[in-house]
Amino acid sequence: MMSLVWKLLRQHISIAQLAGFFFANLFGMFIVLLGLQFYNDVKPLFSQEDGFLKPEYLIVSKRISGVSVLGAGESCSFSQKDIQDITSQPFCKSVGAFTASQYRVICSLGMKGVAQMGTEMFFESVPDRFVDTDLSQWKFDPQEGVIPIVLPRTYLAIYNFGYAQSQSLPKISEGIVGMIDMVVVLRGNGQEERLKGKVIGFSSRLNTILVPESFIQWSNAKFAPEADLAPNRLIVEVSNPTDDAIVKYINEHNLELEDDKLDVGKATYFLRVVTVLVMCIGMLISVLSFYILMLSIYLLVQKNTEKLRNLLLIGYSPVRVSLPYQLLTIGMNGVVLLLSFILLYMVRSYYMDTLWVMFPQMQDGSMLPALSLGFCLFAVVSIINIIAVRNRVMKIWNRKE
Amino acid sequence: MDRIALHNTLPCVFEGREVQSDIWSQDITFQKGETILVEASSGTGKSSLCSYIIGYRKDYLGNILFDGSDIRQYSVSDWTSIRQHTLSLLFQELRLFPELTALENVQIKNGLTGHKRLCEIEDWFQRLGIADKMEAKVGRMSFGQQQRVAMIRALVQPFDFLMVDEPISHLDDENSAIMAEIMMEEARSQGAGVIVTSIGKHMNMSYDKTYRL
Repeated sequence: MMSLVWKLLRQHISIAQLAGFFFANLFGMFIVLLGLQFYNDVKPLFSQEDGFLKPEYLIVSKRISGVSVLGAGESCSFSQKDIQDITSQPFCKSVGAFTASQYRVICSLGMKGVAQMGTEMFFESVPDRFVDTDLSQWKFDPQEGVIPIVLPRTYLAIYNFGYAQSQSLPKISEGIVGMIDMVVVLRGNGQEERLKGKVIGFSSRLNTILVPESFIQWSNAKFAPEADLAPNRLIVEVSNPTDDAIVKYINEHNLELEDDKLDVGKATYFLRVVTVLVMCIGMLISVLSFYILMLSIYLLVQKNTEKLRNLLLIGYSPVRVSLPYQLLTIGMNGVVLLLSFILLYMVRSYYMDTLWVMFPQMQDGSMLPALSLGFCLFAVVSIINIIAVRNRVMKIWNRKE
Repeated sequence: MDRIALHNTLPCVFEGREVQSDIWSQDITFQKGETILVEASSGTGKSSLCSYIIGYRKDYLGNILFDGSDIRQYSVSDWTSIRQHTLSLLFQELRLFPELTALENVQIKNGLTGHKRLCEIEDWFQRLGIADKMEAKVGRMSFGQQQRVAMIRALVQPFDFLMVDEPISHLDDENSAIMAEIMMEEARSQGAGVIVTSIGKHMNMSYDKTYRL
């Protein structure tokens, strides 16, 4: 019997109108959900704290001028007086010096004992209290001869995206780097020693090859006992990184901040603005498509007013004659929701693959917020549809149509 | 429902007019089981009377009571129930669905009430001489044929009162006799009252009362 009612009431359904609604709504819903999902997926990349440095640490170096390059101007390194001056500033909580290796370091990489490439390099260290990592691994024991190393993350990116890609070599994840055999040869003061290196992590902020301070002290004493240990860079713990006094001091003393915290802040802000904008556009499209649907349904009810009225007069209840149109709209909303989810899933898999290659440490975010939002939109739109159809039918019942 | 009572009922459009009528502005009661003829001239409010009683319009003065309760107070679900189980109306304008076949027009009502079996419905089509039209779209049928379909539809529900508004205006004497026969068989089997309106030609039956509208 319901099929007879449907046979009657489907008269005048405009496929073009409903298709218009369908695609507009699909588009709008998809944009809203994708906006939220993308924001959720990408946000941690912007807001995560560096695994090795706490956020309130700044790295300061002296600005290199043309004169200093020629060796005639001011020294690039910080004197004890400079350090004391910084320490005495009100914004400063503590200062640590970067200590560089003062001897030759040759490092060769390989897997399974086969050396693949070698290079000269250097090490730096900061006091352990500035390194926020698992300190149980952050130790050097001359007896064991294994040097824990933290590399800048950009090195990996340069290899993966610059070198490996162009040479058709496999890309390396952070996990695999830890498995690479690293042989480090230290040479100086008439001595030479072969040690093993082990990459225990990566840092996005600390742009140096970092080793434990105990190792630097041991090795400098052994291979370069005479060297001048004045640091070129300082790590400064501040109470508030956004303090204006810091910028002022830095400028006055011709120093440079090696940090991107402010940029990260800006990027996060822009990400949020763009996301909100995109979601608003999606919302707008959704609202407009919803408007198309309502108009379409109203038109349908209008055109079928006489049939609806006759059904009511032969004993059909308003609930029963509303049902086909309500099911029609709920069905369409449901299909739109489902397709949005599928599209979202597909697009997300695509961009997440790319993101994982770029940010291997990224955690797999949840799709729950986007799915919940989708269900909420579906529920709200469907409920409004149900009420609107019912109201139209009641108008016919009350002879206001 | 045993009684339909009209107390000083008068269509709003007649207000202030001198109305000579056995029904308007009178106190009358239709009893269940009675067969009543309401004779009317054009424009005396015959269809309005039907619309008031079926709950479709409320533009009248006075009261209409079903078993003593004022029908103005009825809710949507009350009316739905009354139209399914208590009161059946054959509309003058028939209110059939031209897109559906004759049988579907009957089934759309019978499906709601589950009152008659298909073979009973087919038998009525047979007796009314439109068995060959059962699968034909109503929109393609003559008005006389449509009147017979509408009558069958009016009968596929339980009722205490059956109102038929000019049911035979487009029928010959033979067919109107058959229609009257079927209608009265069904009404008697349910012990229902029948109210027939007519604007001239009326079903040739014995009426308990005749009112002049």
